[in-house]
Amino acid sequence: MYATVLALLKKDLLIEWRKKHTFFGVMLYVAATVFVINLMNGQAESSMWNVLFWITQLFVAINSVAKSFLQESEERFRYYYTITSPQAFIIAKLIYSVALQCIMSLLTLLLFHLLLGSPLENNLLFTALAALGGTSLSIVFTFLSAIAAKAQQNASLMAILGFPIVAPILLILSRLALKTMNTVVVNGWWGLFMVLILLNILIIGLSLILFPFLWKE
Amino acid sequence: MNNLKKRSFSLVFTILSIFLIVPACWAQNSTPEMATLFRSNGKIYVVVLVLATIFAGLFIFLIYLDKKIKNLENK
Amino acid sequence: MRLRWWKLLSIVLVFYTLYFGLMGEVPSKDILNETIRNLYYHVPMWFCMILLFTYAFVYAIRYLSSNNIQYDLKSAAFNKVGIVFSVLGMITGMEWATYTWGEPWSNDPKQLGTALCMLIYFAYLVLRNGIKDDEKRAKISAVYTIFAFSLMIPLIFVLPRMVDSLHPGNGGNPGFNAYDLDNRMRMIFYPAVIGWFLLGKWISELKYRTDLIDYKKLYHE
Repeated sequence: MYATVLALLKKDLLIEWRKKHTFFGVMLYVAATVFVINLMNGQAESSMWNVLFWITQLFVAINSVAKSFLQESEERFRYYYTITSPQAFIIAKLIYSVALQCIMSLLTLLLFHLLLGSPLENNLLFTALAALGGTSLSIVFTFLSAIAAKAQQNASLMAILGFPIVAPILLILSRLALKTMNTVVVNGWWGLFMVLILLNILIIGLSLILFPFLWKE
Repeated sequence: MNNLKKRSFSLVFTILSIFLIVPACWAQNSTPEMATLFRSNGKIYVVVLVLATIFAGLFIFLIYLDKKIKNLENK
Repeated sequence: MRLRWWKLLSIVLVFYTLYFGLMGEVPSKDILNETIRNLYYHVPMWFCMILLFTYAFVYAIRYLSSNNIQYDLKSAAFNKVGIVFSVLGMITGMEWATYTWGEPWSNDPKQLGTALCMLIYFAYLVLRNGIKDDEKRAKISAVYTIFAFSLMIPLIFVLPRMVDSLHPGNGGNPGFNAYDLDNRMRMIFYPAVIGWFLLGKWISELKYRTDLIDYKKLYHE
């Protein structure tokens, strides 16, 4: 099991490294978005900064994670089907997209600091939240891109399916992030934080249970 | 059949918009207490509006189902 | 034709709700006035929606464990009628809110929750309509139903902690607290929920039977 997951993960990373299209494409996308925000708005004040950051995260997640399933062709799926178990496959995909999304989150954060100023008081906490948020978004979208790929649809279907599910998660994240900004007191911070963690576990569990059904034809 | 659906939709919308527009017209020349239709008699007409909406919705669904069954019969 | 007992019960309960809901005595409150009676008509729509989606969820699980296409058609019918009820709940809620809260939309968590449900299940319709192959459509829509429903339920309960509510019972709204207020109202409210829900179930069943005939005809030709 571990060996298969590792092998699959290595395969994804190798494809990524050879083609470099996802990584640099999305990086360019992030840079362009942040730059445009800078041109339109200049330095944003803290609550706006927070909103813009999470919206950027959402679109980065849609663009980067979409590729994880949608880039694979039907024939390749058939090949994987013969050599791996569905659980190993989805775990590898989840780890890969979480890693990719976390790197993207950190890059976005860096660019935000450079171009939009930094209203943060607790940098470390916000970075951790960005990584956590990136994880939540990427696992939701990984599973939905599996659905979209099976339905032979494009990335826009994934966005349609995902938006209503992700909207409350983004709401929770932006609420959590307020704590790192200024003197705003957030009631029940730890409660919300635990809710987010539990949601992540729930999503991973559902992905593991449901993916095998999508897998077999 | 499409025509029937379209007609019934527009009928329901007309009824609903009458409900919504009439009180708005009333408001134009009302007394300061805003004695409009929906605020009169303890606002009982809001309940009427809600019930009308529910039944309108259920009827729209019935019409859609009716159309579907008709299509099946003609097949 | 003999009606099943729960269909009769639905008729009886809905008429009971209509008659006693409009004629019965209700507590008098400021702002709400007579609109408090909407508790019997607007609120059950929301309960109905959740219950119908739950049925759809159960049938989706049964489809995945049995691969019987009938369960898929049932699940889809319940989802579709659930959407009808969510739309009705939303519109009636906005009508009620216009004359009590002063505006149709006020970012209330229950409104937001229903709006999210509507978006999730509209996406379900988009997904379902996009797939041609029957078995594939059944499988993918069952998987999406299970995924979306099990995430939606916790999110609906988390939302009220995020946004202040105008609805009674949360956010410290003193207006009225109907759920533990009045035994007379309770005697009508619970039957109302059951009656409207059975009506929704009945309609879903008709939808399912129509779809099943459609499916069989397609299969034979």
